Amino acid sequence: MSFDLSIIWQNLPDILAGFWTTCWLWAVSTAGGIVLGFLVAVARRYGGRLIASVLGVYVAIMRGTPFLVQIFLLYYGGPFIGISLTETPTGLIGLVIYGAAYFSEVFRAGFEAVPVGHIEAAECVGLTRWQTVRRILLPEMALLVLPPSVNIAVILIKETAVLSTITVPELTMVTSVIGSQYYAFVEALTLLALFYWFLVEVTGRAGRWAEAKLSRYRFAN
Amino acid sequence: MNSTVPAIRISGLTKSYGETEVLHGIDLEFASGEVTCLIGPSGSGKSTLLRCIAFLEEATNGLISIEGEALGFAMGPGGNRIRLPQAEVRAVRSRIGMVFQQFNLWPHMTALGNVAEALVTVRGMSRSDAEARATRELERVGLGHRAGHYPAQLSGGQQQRVAIARALALDPRIMLFDEPTSSLDPELTGEVLNVMRQLADDGMTMLVVSHEIGFAASVGSKIVFLDQGKVLLEGSPTEVFGKPRHPRIDQFLDTYLDRGAATLI
Amino acid sequence: MSWKLFMLLVKASGLTLVISGVSILIGLALGFVICAGLLSGTRGLNRAAELFVSFFRGVPLLVQLLLIYHLMPALGINVSSTTAAIVGLSLCTAAYQAENLRAGFGAVPRGLLEAADMCGFSHFQTFRRIRAPIALRLTLPAIINEAVLLLKASSLVSVVGIVELTRMAQDLASSTYRPIPIFASAGLLYFIICAIVAGIGALYERRQKWARR
Repeated sequence: MSFDLSIIWQNLPDILAGFWTTCWLWAVSTAGGIVLGFLVAVARRYGGRLIASVLGVYVAIMRGTPFLVQIFLLYYGGPFIGISLTETPTGLIGLVIYGAAYFSEVFRAGFEAVPVGHIEAAECVGLTRWQTVRRILLPEMALLVLPPSVNIAVILIKETAVLSTITVPELTMVTSVIGSQYYAFVEALTLLALFYWFLVEVTGRAGRWAEAKLSRYRFAN
Repeated sequence: MNSTVPAIRISGLTKSYGETEVLHGIDLEFASGEVTCLIGPSGSGKSTLLRCIAFLEEATNGLISIEGEALGFAMGPGGNRIRLPQAEVRAVRSRIGMVFQQFNLWPHMTALGNVAEALVTVRGMSRSDAEARATRELERVGLGHRAGHYPAQLSGGQQQRVAIARALALDPRIMLFDEPTSSLDPELTGEVLNVMRQLADDGMTMLVVSHEIGFAASVGSKIVFLDQGKVLLEGSPTEVFGKPRHPRIDQFLDTYLDRGAATLI
Repeated sequence: MSWKLFMLLVKASGLTLVISGVSILIGLALGFVICAGLLSGTRGLNRAAELFVSFFRGVPLLVQLLLIYHLMPALGINVSSTTAAIVGLSLCTAAYQAENLRAGFGAVPRGLLEAADMCGFSHFQTFRRIRAPIALRLTLPAIINEAVLLLKASSLVSVVGIVELTRMAQDLASSTYRPIPIFASAGLLYFIICAIVAGIGALYERRQKWARR
């Protein structure tokens, strides 16, 4: 087995372009997923019975089926119902809808986990409702939702690789193409694996660092 | 058994966690059949001392012997302490039964299973013999009718009585109690204390760490008052609680007025 | 969409079940070994286990599958693509199960082990009768959860040409030009399978009397 790295240098521009696509797809889908997920969680909590159950079904479907099947349905099925998008927007939308379901569950758990007593205590010392949300609820929730949110962000990094199946030109796609052109799959895929490993490790460490920073808020039992 | 050999002898015992020494040179002897209550403010080291006697903690220095046999460490020929092999530790420790503050019943076994388990696993009894013995022990603590219940289905007081039965089933010569009623609701402490009182009347050698001053004064044949890792006072309940009293005892009794100490003041 | 097409999908989900089931079992067994490494006091073993877990949790499963699929022939190991897929899925899920088990063993209260110690149990007896059974039951929800995740992740083996549920749906969608009902049906089948597995787990958990408080 030969391990030839020269093909990497020869194709560096393509690889960097793929790297960039992976990174921005990840960043935008995480941000979009958090925003949409938060809205879903709020709507499920305060939106009345009908909205809550519709959104509950949405979350259950996204969590109960493979992302690959979801993205195929969107990509191949979209044109039949008048949604004709190119690969990259399809992939991005798919990721956001998928990630939002998971993020909404994190926020929902976060809402429920803030002890009622803390909110009552805030009211007792005369905070308004908005002040209670801003000064008590959100900071307490931030600590609770941070670790699971980092987990989902990591899952989303890894799901961007799945977008290669609908030919989104992200890193896995680019690398696979180079691997097949030069018949150097092992080299290309090994480097690819190392890259993702690095990105996931860095994200995980950043998350733990942020958690440690925030932990001065940790509940006193 | 030679009656002049103390049930437990502790000499020069110290215990440190890192830099901090929590027990500073304890020397104590407990006679067979004696009920000793270890009392003292929190942080005085009474639980640590008890855990050293159970060999759940290894003393940093000093020796402990159980009925004349070295527990865990022995003095070597050169005057240095040597650690004894684990098999020997287990053999000496089999004379000791321990009851924990948190009961520590195994949640995946019924009350009967908890009591019978060691008889089968450690003593090699058949399951049916072990269960017959376990049933007798449960009846002794008044829980024969709860044999099939899991710990989660029992009240705290019942769980602690099962834990006592579990220890008794192994025929210990000495029973150690580490704050046996501290995690119980006040109305449940009575049933546990009654079982312990019964055990004392049967002549069991007992060492009890407790804040139950009333129990200590009425059942204890000896009181040891620990303060800041040292034995401050040692004697019969009348000597320790009777007037004139040591000022630290007065202070301590004030703090635990509600634990049956009212009658002593 | 015709009943015939749907039954083709149902049949294909049989292969999904087989591949996932085998991988879950191998992954669990391997997870135990890795967990032993994680809990081991030997530094080398410990590092190796940590590295294993970090790698297989840090690399997208798709990339792992592609890598194993191409790496094995390159190393002179010729196996079917199904075997390669099972190897890939097993390694990945083992990393997650090892972490789950480590958390379970860590969650067994120390006092329960001390009680066993005081009853004269040897290390091995304590492990077999007290620590392992309690850790397993504490870990059960996480183990089932990982099994469900693996069932969904098994859709990725379609990429290396195994005609399981997702690949069958892809093939049917392109030959019939009816992607929406076909992919929706595939999604429904995954949903049902996952719900059944999760349901069995929940049922088993509810039967554990001792956990009830």
